[in-house]
Amino acid sequence: MNTALRHSRERGNPGIKSNPWIPASAGMTSQARSRLVVVDIIAYVVLAFSIGLATAVSLAGVVLLLAQEAQAAEFVPMQPAQAQQGTLLLKAKGETLAVPAVATDAEIRVSGIVARAVVKQTYRNPYDAWFEGIYVFPLPENAAVDHLRMKIGERVIEGDIKERQAARAQYEQAKSSGQRAALVEQERPNMFTTSVANIPPHGEITVEIEYQQTLRFDAQGYSLRFPMVVGPRYIPGTPTEGRGHGWAPNTDQVPDAAHITPPVLHPDQHAPSNPVRLKVVLDAGVPLARVDSTYHPITQRETEGGGRIVELAAGEVPANKDFELKWTPVASHAPSAALFTEQSGDKHYALLMVMPPAKEVAAARLPREVIFVIDTSGSMSGSSIAQAKEALALAVSRLDERDSFNVIEFNSYAKALYPDARPASVAHRNNAVSWVRRLQAQGGTEMALALNLALNGRENPGRVRQVIFLTDGAVGNEDGLFKLIQDKLGDSRLFTVGIGSAPNSHFMMKAAQSGRGTFIYIGKIEEVKEKMGALFTKLESPVLKGIEIAWPDGSHAETWPQRVPDLYLGEPIVVSAALDKLEGDLRITGLRGEVHERPWQATLPLDEARTGRGMGVLWARAKIASLVDSLRDGAKEDEVREAVVNVALVHHLVSKYTSLIAVDKTPVRPVDATLKSGAVPTNLPEGWEFEKVFGELPQGATDSRWNLLVGFLALLLAGGLFRTSRRTPIAFGRG
Amino acid sequence: MKTLTSREDWPLGVECAWPATMHAAPAQAIVRDRTDPLAHRWQLWLASIALAFGVWQFGQGSYIQAKAWLAQVLIKQAWARTLDGKAQARPWPWADTWPVARITVPDRGIVRYVLAGANGRSIAFGPGHVFGTPLPGDAGNSVIGAHRDTHFAFLRELHPGEEIVVQKSAATIRRYRVEDSEIVDKRETRVMAQHGGEPRLTLITCYPFDALRAGGPLRYVVSAKAI
Repeated sequence: MNTALRHSRERGNPGIKSNPWIPASAGMTSQARSRLVVVDIIAYVVLAFSIGLATAVSLAGVVLLLAQEAQAAEFVPMQPAQAQQGTLLLKAKGETLAVPAVATDAEIRVSGIVARAVVKQTYRNPYDAWFEGIYVFPLPENAAVDHLRMKIGERVIEGDIKERQAARAQYEQAKSSGQRAALVEQERPNMFTTSVANIPPHGEITVEIEYQQTLRFDAQGYSLRFPMVVGPRYIPGTPTEGRGHGWAPNTDQVPDAAHITPPVLHPDQHAPSNPVRLKVVLDAGVPLARVDSTYHPITQRETEGGGRIVELAAGEVPANKDFELKWTPVASHAPSAALFTEQSGDKHYALLMVMPPAKEVAAARLPREVIFVIDTSGSMSGSSIAQAKEALALAVSRLDERDSFNVIEFNSYAKALYPDARPASVAHRNNAVSWVRRLQAQGGTEMALALNLALNGRENPGRVRQVIFLTDGAVGNEDGLFKLIQDKLGDSRLFTVGIGSAPNSHFMMKAAQSGRGTFIYIGKIEEVKEKMGALFTKLESPVLKGIEIAWPDGSHAETWPQRVPDLYLGEPIVVSAALDKLEGDLRITGLRGEVHERPWQATLPLDEARTGRGMGVLWARAKIASLVDSLRDGAKEDEVREAVVNVALVHHLVSKYTSLIAVDKTPVRPVDATLKSGAVPTNLPEGWEFEKVFGELPQGATDSRWNLLVGFLALLLAGGLFRTSRRTPIAFGRG
Repeated sequence: MKTLTSREDWPLGVECAWPATMHAAPAQAIVRDRTDPLAHRWQLWLASIALAFGVWQFGQGSYIQAKAWLAQVLIKQAWARTLDGKAQARPWPWADTWPVARITVPDRGIVRYVLAGANGRSIAFGPGHVFGTPLPGDAGNSVIGAHRDTHFAFLRELHPGEEIVVQKSAATIRRYRVEDSEIVDKRETRVMAQHGGEPRLTLITCYPFDALRAGGPLRYVVSAKAI
């Protein structure tokens, strides 16, 4: 500004010479003049400093008092008295990672809508000491684990099913007396722990686990998921007594936290561990249009019967993300109904699948209120949050002007974009999308806060209220959350969108079930459009509800689940039943339509049933799931435990209350040799950020001093330059 | 017209030097035309750029400090509302953080209002409570981070044995005693680890304290134990 002023004067008034200071300075002593120079420079600096300071203070004021970014969003304070104190806890340093390595080899045989898998875990001990290996690993959320075999060289020891405590006691006994033993316990329906005692120095023990599951399928086709890693879970609550091999202490909300938090390798410091080999033998029973793996490159070859054999192209992959195989039958062979039965003693176990036809005519629809909930916790950081944001932005922009919506984000705290749902006008939608784009993933996963904000327990006549919940489900307090959803649902519906490479499938499925909605997975950004499109089609189509299944008289059917959940477009009815006889016709009825309900019904002759293997196990698994669910409806734990144990022991199933155990009779470890123990560390799921999950030390410095110094020096320089530029001509003038 | 010779004249000189330089300019210009106009013009440009840059840097530096200082005033008011029972009282309407505790070092007269979250956005305004650790005052190891050149500059002076008082709500006050301080690498998350339910306070800032620039790998960690 000084310069500009000066220039204009140069041009405008070239003749002005009179300056009061020039004659004065001309008469000065040289000492006085140099002092003047110094004063001048100081003055420059002081002025510049004051300008700088004034600017800074006023800027700070402006920033504080006006918007730093035009923020149309209003934040809703969360409910009071919910200050959170969850724990993202770490084990102190110095913990050795010297534990046996585990290699997994899985072979899954698919026949129709059922898969049976053999998972072989080989525990190798590369050390000179005797070791116990503890491995926490995931399985599909509906896996019925019914066999355990421990292999030592050529010998095979078949596992027994026992009540959990009894199995644990037997294992501890074997462990301390030097016998080799293997124990499989269920931590969550989709999370298990294998403990293997007395692995000899430089030796190995192989543990084989078998499970069976019904596959998930809808109008788009079938999918088989094989999870490989349990992502680190957020553990809410206050720490309580008791620690285990996990990185988190037990808390009041997650009493078994220490069991479900195996150590996690930092991907920057360790190569991926726990290699997995996988083979899927696919006998779909119908001609297949296509078979694809979503996240892993595969090789596939056709078998004689028209099936496929699928293997990982890489041969071996680190256990760091879910494997998903999808296949679609040729259009004309898409199944509409299937009934598989298996006889065991005088009981017939049946698995029934019926695909209701898609509704052709667009039904009149009610206005919708859609509440989006996005998980912005640390575990979402990385590729997950990118997928979630993309999915949410897409979903918001798809809303109709008649609909209303709101967005809630949560991590250690929860906050809503608007105090109440707003009409999905273009302005609101745009505002929401830009709000979502700015979200950052950090902190804890206090899901209860978000659910409390999203669900109000109210009835909403005249409109459909849908909550869409985008999360990786990386929490340890699932049961508490399911109860919360159930209690506060009202007539809302909750849909889960499992995000990322290793979502918690148990959470996705049960949260959706408790919320009377459905669930999908998005594991990579390329899937967002297709998956969200499919979800929206379901959301916009009326459900099939009030489904009743009438078995023929005299069959004395015991059906699980007892109440068939509402079905969304393209989803099948799947139930298991135990029957006395297989005769007569089965009738299924239901209601469809949102504004005007229309009845739907189907009939199926029982004698057309095909025989299938393991139907009894699937029935028992469905029964156990329903029994455990009843705990949330207030059933007594003792009664549920007894009922579950009865079913599980008969069908040889691992459950919350029963475990499989195999013990080698002969002790091998010398009495004087000590046994070391360690939890097998797991990989961080692909795309996750370690520091965001386990926290990082805060960055505690600003550049302010640097700025001040640099600024000061620059001002000094400016002062000097101005000074000399003024002095030079004066010197000339005098000369 | 007088000559600046005596000491008493200096204040005036400082004040008056300013317009003087501007008035002096036209005179220079005429003289300069005869001599080396190009070099002179460059010098002026350079000087202006240096001035602008200096003001900017200085402003930036002061802004950071001013913001840190001013925000604590607003946060103090929000804390008063929190004590009155308001949850998540935001210090300014669009803030995405709110005070969760007040920490004081009574012997040093230091008062700081701790905000929710220890990310860059919140610790510009005050010490931040690291999400995922227990709240200050609660059972467990509560971790708080702040800048070494603003709110946590005092950590440097803090010695073992000194008392830190944490106010969590109107009724809850907890006293801690400083146990030790150490310098760790930023990856050493063990300092954030929980040791059962024992109430602890871990204060973290950047190290070294005198470093000019942010972004170093070291952290200064003060740990305190509830008394």
